[in-house]
Amino acid sequence: MPEPVPSVDAPPGAEAPAAPANGKEESPGVFWMIVAVGLGLVIIGWFLPWYVEEISNGVGYSPMDAVLSFTGIGTVMIYVVAVAMIVLIAGLVDDILRRRKHLEPRFTRQRAMLALAGALATVAVAVLIGLLNEEPLFGTLDQYSFTDNAVWMTLTGFSLCAFGYAFKPWIVRHPGIAFTAVAFAVGAAFPLIFNQAGDFVGWGARFAAIYILLALGLNVVVGFAGLLDLGYAAFFAIGAYTTASLAGQRYGLHLPFWIIIFLGAGIASLFGAVLGAPTLRLRGDYLAIVTLGFGEIIPDLATNNVFGATGGPNGLAADPAKFGSFNLGQLGAVPANTKFYFWLLIILVALVVVALRNVERSRLGRAWVAIREDEVAAAATGINTVSTKLLAFSIGASVSGFAGAFFGAMLGTVTPDNFQFAVSVTVLSTVVLGGIGSIAGVTVGAVVIAFVINWIIPNAQQWMGTLGTTTGVTQLGNFNVSQYVYILYGLILIGIMLLRPAGLLPSRARKVELTTGGTEEALSEVEAS
Amino acid sequence: MAAILEVDRITKVFGGLHAVQDVSFEVGETEIVSMIGPNGAGKTTAFNCITGLYPLTSGDIRFRGQSIKGKPPHKITRLGITRTFQNIRLFSFMTAVDNVMVGEHCRMHAKVWDAVIRTPSERREEREVEKRALDILRRLGIERYADAYARNLPYGLQRRLEIARALASRPTLLLLDEPAAGLNQREKRELMEVIATLRKGGLTIFLIEHDMRVVMEISDRIVVLDHGEKIAEGAPQDVRKNPRVIEAYLGSGASEEMRSA
Repeated sequence: MPEPVPSVDAPPGAEAPAAPANGKEESPGVFWMIVAVGLGLVIIGWFLPWYVEEISNGVGYSPMDAVLSFTGIGTVMIYVVAVAMIVLIAGLVDDILRRRKHLEPRFTRQRAMLALAGALATVAVAVLIGLLNEEPLFGTLDQYSFTDNAVWMTLTGFSLCAFGYAFKPWIVRHPGIAFTAVAFAVGAAFPLIFNQAGDFVGWGARFAAIYILLALGLNVVVGFAGLLDLGYAAFFAIGAYTTASLAGQRYGLHLPFWIIIFLGAGIASLFGAVLGAPTLRLRGDYLAIVTLGFGEIIPDLATNNVFGATGGPNGLAADPAKFGSFNLGQLGAVPANTKFYFWLLIILVALVVVALRNVERSRLGRAWVAIREDEVAAAATGINTVSTKLLAFSIGASVSGFAGAFFGAMLGTVTPDNFQFAVSVTVLSTVVLGGIGSIAGVTVGAVVIAFVINWIIPNAQQWMGTLGTTTGVTQLGNFNVSQYVYILYGLILIGIMLLRPAGLLPSRARKVELTTGGTEEALSEVEAS
Repeated sequence: MAAILEVDRITKVFGGLHAVQDVSFEVGETEIVSMIGPNGAGKTTAFNCITGLYPLTSGDIRFRGQSIKGKPPHKITRLGITRTFQNIRLFSFMTAVDNVMVGEHCRMHAKVWDAVIRTPSERREEREVEKRALDILRRLGIERYADAYARNLPYGLQRRLEIARALASRPTLLLLDEPAAGLNQREKRELMEVIATLRKGGLTIFLIEHDMRVVMEISDRIVVLDHGEKIAEGAPQDVRKNPRVIEAYLGSGASEEMRSA
């Protein structure tokens, strides 16, 4: 190895180095976001029952009612929580006021300890509710009233504020990890908070989680390695048909669910490799066409009941997810333990996020970025471009197959309509919307898209009707919104491209790349010359 | 001196154009050999053939006695030949240290599963590689730019970062494609120092260069290409006097300037 060379300073007039890109910068933004979300939940939680009391025939109770009723062991806990909450909120207000006057905050440590104690008490209450699930805890806790929603909302909100406050310095230093942790905590509390909105939790939330998985997987292909894949739904289909074949009536096989999802991932990644091996030498646009074709072929094969294996347009029946004797049920079936599907999905999403995050930061992740930026230089620097791209392709496919296998069990009947081109387009829109190459971004994008598909679009018809009646323009009610879904997508994408071209939560490098443009030249082109 | 690289009658044809025709030469161990020639003489094409970016039309290239003909670029890099590019090809939106760490890619062993679950050996390897990358940056005097995006480095330091990236793959033969292009006098001086130290560390260097001062000063031998053919080879003082070189490469009017250089 070479000897040390005399160190040379930058020549005069050299540009200052850019800010480090390693994400170690301190940012209080996430802290304030956490506090805002937490306070919002607390406020809604305490006032919601008073609001809905009228429309729910007086069965709504606020946590405040529980405090005033002096019944049950939970009341004591509520007192602890309430006192800590008041101190905490007062402390935050005091902080803000003192900051206005440019003074140092007072009693930071004591307040943090108190907040932590309050948060722990809150968690204790939550655990007690979960364990006992009975009335003495809050005087009157009725599963069919809004009270428990309000309680959960309050508990979640307060825990957020309290933990956020107690760990403020840590959050400011690690905004990324804190954001992820909070996102998962709120996500996990979701079915409890919105217990009354059964349809949303029952389908929308799970749908969102499936979309998060799909977006995470496609992000590996499109975001990390920079390969355009327009047939991503094909791997989703392969995963779902794996479940229906190995755990369903068709072949009389009933393999355990947790084996199936990994098999689905494995088989999809094999297909990814089979498709990728001959096509990955192609340049971006050509690759997109080939994947588009693949995405069309797979559902068509399924529709035509190839080898009698797919059951044609009617599809195949798949077993619901089961763990021993605990049956998670299926969509529309009784009992469908929708919450558990959702929680299971959340856990899987967390696992996939951690795994992809690790890969992104590894040798392989660097190689992907290098290929995306300059394939020729990457090859000359010692990266096997073909196998590295193939890995991106099959890792992306395996995540899709994973999600598909889960989806199959959740749906109960796997039919070709679930995997049409529209799915590929929607997932790609999700990735673009959220921020190509950014794990947090695509997660947010998937939640937004799922919200649009499952809440805005189904309700839009009704809103239009209401708008028509109120404004007197009854024609508005005849406007069939669901026909214009793709126009809506188009508008969203155009809007994003104009306003935030790198997505809602862009990855740092992508942001710069998109504004200044990168080079595109495939290795195969150079070699073929 | 044992030949580390033997280029044996290589030809590269693009359509009807003979970009490199029947060129042979050798590079000895720890030698500094320059390749010169007018624009379009086929120098970079020859480089691309050696590094595996272009498949050869005919001929053979041997590295330490082993034929590397038809091997893909990453395998050639693994064998110990790395290069820099004429128009800098850094990974612009990666940090300087990440660029160098990409250079170490072919010497790393972590597999996908190691990365997914972050095994202790993967972590250790990542730590070691980062340490080595910083070490290389320090040796080349650009450590303070470690966390800056490659594109934000001043031009001269980008050239140096490209050398750092090439060194990270632990080559025995380093190909530099016009390393002095666009550098000012002081930067050229520093570049020559860097090259000299690298050679002292046991590295063989083969470079394309237009700057005659640089070429004459650092080269042990010079290979001259014109219209895809080798027209001369030898020590700097011999090549300088060679009439074919003066005529073909510099044009007859420039011979005076050449002597005074």
